[in-house]
Amino acid sequence: MSHDALTAQVLRNALVVAAEEAGIVVVRSAYSTFIVEGSDASAAILDAGGRLVAQSMATTLMNSMALRAALPEVLKDFPAASMRPGEVYALNDAYRGGVHTNDLLVFRPVFVFGAPRYFTATMIHVSDLGGLSAGGMAPLATDVFLEGLQLPPVRLATAGGLDRAVEAILRANSRTPDKVMGDVRALVAGTAVAAARLERLAGEYGEAGLAEGIAEYLDYTEARTRAAITGLPAGRFEAAYPIDDDGVHPGRELVVRVAVTVEREPPRVVADFAGTDPQVPAAVNASASQSLAAAVFGVRCFLDPTIPMNEGCLRALDIRLPEGSLLNARPPHPCGGRFVPVYAAMEAVFQALSDAVPERAIAPSGILQPFSIAAVGAPYWIHLSYDFGGVGARAGLDGPDATGVHFGLGRNSVPQAEPVESRCPIVVESVETVPDSGGPGRYRGGLATRTVFRFLADCHVTTRGDRLRLPPPGRGGGRPGRTGGFFRRRLDGTLERLPSKANNVFFAAGEAFVVETTGGGGLGSPHERPREEVEADLRAGRVSPRGAREDYGWDGG
Amino acid sequence: MHAIAVDVGGTFTDVYSHGPAGAVAAKVLTTPEDPVEGVLRGVARVLTFDPALVGSVVHATTLATNAVLERKGARVAFVTTRGFGSMIPLGRYARVEEDRYDLRFTPPTLDVECFEVTERLDSRGAVLVPLDLESVRRAAAEIARRGIASAAVCLLHSYANPAHEQAVAEVLRSRVPHVVTSAEVWPEIREYERATTTIVAAQVGPLMAAYLTRLRAGLASLGVRAPVYVMDSSGGVMSAELAARRAVATVESGPAAGVLAASRYGEAISFDMGGTTAKACVIRGGRPAITHEFHVGGKGSFGGRRAGTGVPIRTPAIDLAEVGAGGGSIAWLDAAGALRVGPRSAGSLPGPACYGLGGGEPTVTDANLVLGYLSSASIPLHPALARKALDRLAGPLGVSREAVAHAVHEIVSAAMASAVHVVTVQRGIDPRGFALVAFGGAGPMHAARVAERFGISSVVVPPHCGVASAVGLLAGALSADRVLTRLGAADPEAIFTALAADAAADLEVSPSAPDVTVERSADVRFRGQSHELTVPWSPAREELAERFFARYREVYGIAQRGEIEVVGYRIRLTRRFPGPPETAPPLGPPPGRSPRRRRPAYFPELGGYADVPVLTRDGLDELAGPAGLAGPAVVEDPESTIVVPPGWSARLDPARAVLLERLERAERLERRP
Repeated sequence: MSHDALTAQVLRNALVVAAEEAGIVVVRSAYSTFIVEGSDASAAILDAGGRLVAQSMATTLMNSMALRAALPEVLKDFPAASMRPGEVYALNDAYRGGVHTNDLLVFRPVFVFGAPRYFTATMIHVSDLGGLSAGGMAPLATDVFLEGLQLPPVRLATAGGLDRAVEAILRANSRTPDKVMGDVRALVAGTAVAAARLERLAGEYGEAGLAEGIAEYLDYTEARTRAAITGLPAGRFEAAYPIDDDGVHPGRELVVRVAVTVEREPPRVVADFAGTDPQVPAAVNASASQSLAAAVFGVRCFLDPTIPMNEGCLRALDIRLPEGSLLNARPPHPCGGRFVPVYAAMEAVFQALSDAVPERAIAPSGILQPFSIAAVGAPYWIHLSYDFGGVGARAGLDGPDATGVHFGLGRNSVPQAEPVESRCPIVVESVETVPDSGGPGRYRGGLATRTVFRFLADCHVTTRGDRLRLPPPGRGGGRPGRTGGFFRRRLDGTLERLPSKANNVFFAAGEAFVVETTGGGGLGSPHERPREEVEADLRAGRVSPRGAREDYGWDGG
Repeated sequence: MHAIAVDVGGTFTDVYSHGPAGAVAAKVLTTPEDPVEGVLRGVARVLTFDPALVGSVVHATTLATNAVLERKGARVAFVTTRGFGSMIPLGRYARVEEDRYDLRFTPPTLDVECFEVTERLDSRGAVLVPLDLESVRRAAAEIARRGIASAAVCLLHSYANPAHEQAVAEVLRSRVPHVVTSAEVWPEIREYERATTTIVAAQVGPLMAAYLTRLRAGLASLGVRAPVYVMDSSGGVMSAELAARRAVATVESGPAAGVLAASRYGEAISFDMGGTTAKACVIRGGRPAITHEFHVGGKGSFGGRRAGTGVPIRTPAIDLAEVGAGGGSIAWLDAAGALRVGPRSAGSLPGPACYGLGGGEPTVTDANLVLGYLSSASIPLHPALARKALDRLAGPLGVSREAVAHAVHEIVSAAMASAVHVVTVQRGIDPRGFALVAFGGAGPMHAARVAERFGISSVVVPPHCGVASAVGLLAGALSADRVLTRLGAADPEAIFTALAADAAADLEVSPSAPDVTVERSADVRFRGQSHELTVPWSPAREELAERFFARYREVYGIAQRGEIEVVGYRIRLTRRFPGPPETAPPLGPPPGRSPRRRRPAYFPELGGYADVPVLTRDGLDELAGPAGLAGPAVVEDPESTIVVPPGWSARLDPARAVLLERLERAERLERRP
């Protein structure tokens, strides 16, 4: 047999476990607000050629694609031959593989018989590295310099410890210098744990054995990906998806376009984003690695979900991102709000492939809605979080409520009220699903949520939303999801709508900040929804009696 | 007096009796429809003496776990603070690899009906909105109208002040038969996990009470009228009356028992492999590691259970890693033609192909039979059926039957190893200094191969290893745990005293009684982080900090110092179990020489099948000198089989455990005191 296949299976586990361990160490020992509120760390293993070998379960595709894009850039500035054991490298440069200021990427070379053959990598959204608002969001930045510190590839540490000059630069550029260094130490420790595992694997399998085992693993993944692609109909499928605005020019819509081509000989998927709007001097551009992740994720959702995620999978996909577009920005166009064009790109791929495979179609969704609440001055407390919109209806299935189906995120990362209130001068008054917010249809879109934060002290609120003006449309006769928004509840109880992208809005103690997400689009005509299902929604409070009558033509009650 | 231990597993129900008449073990198939039936069948098998001589029955049950997994628990009304009625439906799930790209994935939720009451506290327990009793009465009326008989109350910040929850419960109890509050179940910060723990308590409490009543009636019909005890998730034992009230503490009852069986071996890794799952746990200084959060129904992540994929339960539990692979796991070929094993299992019906109960799919047990590791014992096996099942894989793969069988054996050993990995390497523990203590029906067959993967050179197979979990039940002490989150507490001593008094009331003892032990620990973190570590308490701040720094380094590999804060306080109160002595008297060897047999068994080191000796424990003792018998060999017990691969030696110790040692180190180990 198949002794090779067996070895690959065992080795594969070991590689993923090495990445898992790194992630656990980072999550447990970091200080970043995102991590403190429940988010995960990312961790991956790459080879010296920059190929992605394995990633931890919690690693989002956006982060593993960033690590994969950034490693060759590190190696450009620091050739592998010059590296020494114990060294660690870092960067956040969005134009060289990074994501945005606060996402710090850390790499450690793993030496096999004296040469750096592999790299272990970790990354998280660190506590603070400067920019327009505490915690890292700068929704109204017009160039990258307003977003905070830019870190090109640097040698962060040697076997002797952290580089003092780099540490001084990081500290000097952070509102929370101790926390940011805690995060850096966590990231470094994570790479060390995974590197130790990898060294042992190399000892066990030998240099050639490990390399062959990895090559077979990638080949196996490629074969499975191509086999899955033959299950899609061949042809060209086009779609476009809009962005509300760039934050600087409210009401001016931007568009992402894609043509997805499914090929047969050999089986391959090409996603070409030609026709996407050009980059803008506002924080709604994406670096190439992030857009690549969106396209790969979109395609993978129509393939066998159990295919491993590594370089082998990527070989069967050809993603074309026009340079200078919203999806592949050049300096100094800011990339801090990259999830906005990235989610538009992913949705466009979903819609194109939903046309190709109608029995697995999904209507567009409400998306994640980040915001930050911070002290108006030192000492800084920061609450940085997001909530999720409703997922679009699926052929044969309603959309899940407020879950953030995309990119492997889950509600685990939504903080709970008790820890937030014990840490910040905030009272969380309510976290509720919004009745009638799911797009009506034969299959109903998932519901949105409304969360109310009442402040016990003055503070600054920063927002970064999309799909708050242009609702996710329905499919095949389904209706759009209800749009949410960011609001101020004044002391007299009246509501004031805030812009979807707003920077450091002053809130006085006693006022409340309301975060309402957007519901998912419906699929199929709502009049075809069976009466029992409408009435079940009524009983569960997902639909109001009025909504049942107006949206579904329900004649009861 | 005799003690009887009963462990109900997914495939087998194990019963072990121990007393003046000696030790007797029985293994019967579990009866999933009504587990009491299987239990009584097993108990009848070990009752070789007057049932009136039974002094206690200790029970490990998966009733609570299954009620959650199969959604068979009581219908529950969830009562919470106004504004948070969506807390449970929204949930806090995460995704695992197999559903991260699945657009058709719908997050699982707990089945509850939610009710809101008007009230609000802050994080220090101060009242922001007074409790509106009229809103509680309205909720109570509606709960009663819907015919819901069990209610779980979880109000925001009740860990800081339980007054509102108590008042709500008082009103509800006039209309709802079974009411639990989060402050009495587990008063710890983080509303979602506290709520799910309380809801599970409300779901399984009524069920557990009814089950234990039936069990006791059944035992009485056999003439056994002794008190019944239930093992909790952390390896303690409590009375049946208490188990009905604190049923949520029994969710991991079954796995805990197995770990206790290994606890007497000091520094050990317990390795329990049964028909459907395998579990590993680290034991240091004779004590199993304890965790403070686990996830019922959680999905696997290479041996761990990913937070957010199941129902979180915050009561203490033995920290074990579990993989869904065992003797019954089915081997299959995936779409790309690669050989995979599990997670599907043949269970107790139809069981592996070789059981001859109608199963045709190849399982790990079938592979082990083909390899010559296994033979008919308490369950008759049919080798021809196993061969036929394996051929279903050999054909498409174009390799020999025995090559496939060995690959299945290896893949499963690797899966087992990942469970060991989670509890050792991932926790920053080097497994090489530990003994692997193997038990469960399938554990001793794979143990040496699992040990080899970690450089572990010593494997212990205890006596009665096939029913070790049942044996372990008799090693539990009566125990009760309590926790309290208290931010910035001025007087920790008062908190500990109150917690201990509360726990002592559960056990109906005085905290200061001579046979009672009170352990204090605290949840500590660096100020500004959100993940705590639990360390033994010290009232001296510097000493507490040092303990925390040391633990932090051990867990994360980072030598960090800084300002600490204490977030929670924990008490564990134990009282020596008033049952039988802790260790079983060894059974004397039967008269006469043991039979000597040989059979072909497959070892790749030897290039294929080799004729190897097949011994009983007594036969091993007769044959092996002080240096042990060199492998390959097979040692057969009535309920389990020990494989001694080439490169390992085997011998019997005075307590009748089989010791396997790596040959190259055997001599050195031999000289150990």
